[in-house]
Amino acid sequence: MLVSLAWKNIWRNKSRSLVVVLAIAFGLWGGLFSDGLMIGMGESMVNTAIDRDLAHIQIHRPDYDETKGIHRYIPNGLSLADSVRRMPHVIGVSARTRFTGIASSATSSYPVQITGIIPEQEKKVTRLYKRIVSGTYFASKHKNAIVIGQKLAKRLRLRLHSKIVLGFEGAHGELINIACRVIGIYHSGSSRFDESNVFLKQNYLSGVLGGRTFIHEIAIRCQKSAFVKPITAKLKARYPKLLVQSWQERDPMVAFTSSLMIEYSYFFLVFILLAVLFGITNTMLMSVVDRIRELGMLMAIGMKQSRIFVMILLESMFLSLSGGFAGIVLGVLTIALTKHHGIDLSVFRASLESFGASAIIYPTLPLEMYISLTVFIVLTANIAGILPALKAIHLQPAEAIRSV
Amino acid sequence: MALIKVEQLTKTYHSTAVPVHALQNVNLTFERGEFSAVVGPSGSGKTTFLNMLGGLDKPTSGQIFIDGRNLAELKGSALTEYRLHHIGFVFQAYNLIPVFSALENVEFIMLLQGVGKKERRKRAQALLEAVGLGDRLHSRPTQLSGGQQQRVAVARALASRPEFVLADEPTANLDSHSAAELLSLMENLNKQFNMTFIFSTHDVRVIQRARRVITLHDGKVEKDEIIK
Repeated sequence: MLVSLAWKNIWRNKSRSLVVVLAIAFGLWGGLFSDGLMIGMGESMVNTAIDRDLAHIQIHRPDYDETKGIHRYIPNGLSLADSVRRMPHVIGVSARTRFTGIASSATSSYPVQITGIIPEQEKKVTRLYKRIVSGTYFASKHKNAIVIGQKLAKRLRLRLHSKIVLGFEGAHGELINIACRVIGIYHSGSSRFDESNVFLKQNYLSGVLGGRTFIHEIAIRCQKSAFVKPITAKLKARYPKLLVQSWQERDPMVAFTSSLMIEYSYFFLVFILLAVLFGITNTMLMSVVDRIRELGMLMAIGMKQSRIFVMILLESMFLSLSGGFAGIVLGVLTIALTKHHGIDLSVFRASLESFGASAIIYPTLPLEMYISLTVFIVLTANIAGILPALKAIHLQPAEAIRSV
Repeated sequence: MALIKVEQLTKTYHSTAVPVHALQNVNLTFERGEFSAVVGPSGSGKTTFLNMLGGLDKPTSGQIFIDGRNLAELKGSALTEYRLHHIGFVFQAYNLIPVFSALENVEFIMLLQGVGKKERRKRAQALLEAVGLGDRLHSRPTQLSGGQQQRVAVARALASRPEFVLADEPTANLDSHSAAELLSLMENLNKQFNMTFIFSTHDVRVIQRARRVITLHDGKVEKDEIIK
């Protein structure tokens, strides 16, 4: 009956309670959706990076990153790649030839990372082949076919079928220049990546390098992100002399930004709940003041202070949970509706791409966040109810009954 | 033994610059089955006296014994518990919980006493029938007249099976017909169950029905008359 009384009490003043409930609901709805967008943006950054070039796991020679020179190759790279390909839950392996060089056109030049790939293998690991905006992804007879980024094309004033010259250091320290034909231009979503990465057929690059295939990087795609950690651990144990890195280790900035989004989203919700706390405290204080005579009567007939305290806390809880539940439902629905088609933020494309995020964001919230939020709401309600409950139990029955 | 014994009861309020002597050395006893009215002009100390008897306020000095038990020995939740089981209250206004029905209002006090659900429902129904509201069990206070609300209050006061019922100006907000009905009801309950009723009132209609009238003036007992 005490629970029933508390529930009925909050609806005594329907308009006041409704205003508070709606305020909580809309506040949480806004907070959840913003968090969903933020976390979606973080996930977009991660997925974009993985799909673009990072893959789930990469293997290098430990000293590769020092110079990214042609000599820093993985011994027996091709057979190593084959071996990894046979591991369970691995769906794609791309053994890449990768080193630094200069790309030049008639008008300009720019430092680039030159990557030699087997397109069929690469397609199983990354999704760059889906980001071709002009031309094709190596569906060309040209042996010296090259796929370049849109930003680089702009910088060097190149178009489809244009000639581009790549300069780099060869296996014996000699300077090599090769002319390539632009057969595809991609737009990855990261302007920085687009202007500094070019792709050629690995067998062509091997031919230029004296017939040897140098493997500098083995990129691995797992069946699901849940397999990344265990497979990384297995590979580290299997190849202790090589540098095996998960995508988080390979690009800590992406990992950090993604986890920062999640941390930030919790902070954002905490701030919203702080506002909720003050709103509920205020409403409950008003409610107690409105009922001073009735509370005096209840104490007079024999309702103990502890019960009155619990009743006020229950009222505070019901108020918070009503608004909280409505807010969570609205948040879930909004995120569910926008999750599949995404939210088109093309108007901020340039800014988003500079962060490495896609212009279309797919809001998402982990289940733990909803559970945490419910716990926070209950906590907030209890804290908010303390002051009004204390006010109620310190009433003197004789005075309260007589108050105006 | 007297049901209620009041010895040298004094209450002084110091909330203002000049102390207010609400009660001064009041000595009274009340027996079981009394139907008594404490009367006097405003400020005579009637409500203060009832608050003392009900344990709602502490005396400055003096003692109150209820069925031999000194009320001063009880404090905090023990005093609240004592009120719950031994004293019934009917107030002038704001008697009932507005969000509960008549039945739930009467049940509520038994809930506080820890009475089981079936038993309290049965007793609440019987009491509401006894006060003539058997057909209004599920009506909320806003759906009842003033007189009907006070009858529910009486039923609730009796639901706790108290030693006595304190009624502070119970007819003040009622029209003459409702007041008469309420008084008749309380009189019948007094006779039927030997339930002690002590009123604080300046309503002539109540005074006329009381069998004992105690007149207070400036916090002192001016007169104590057995009428019937």
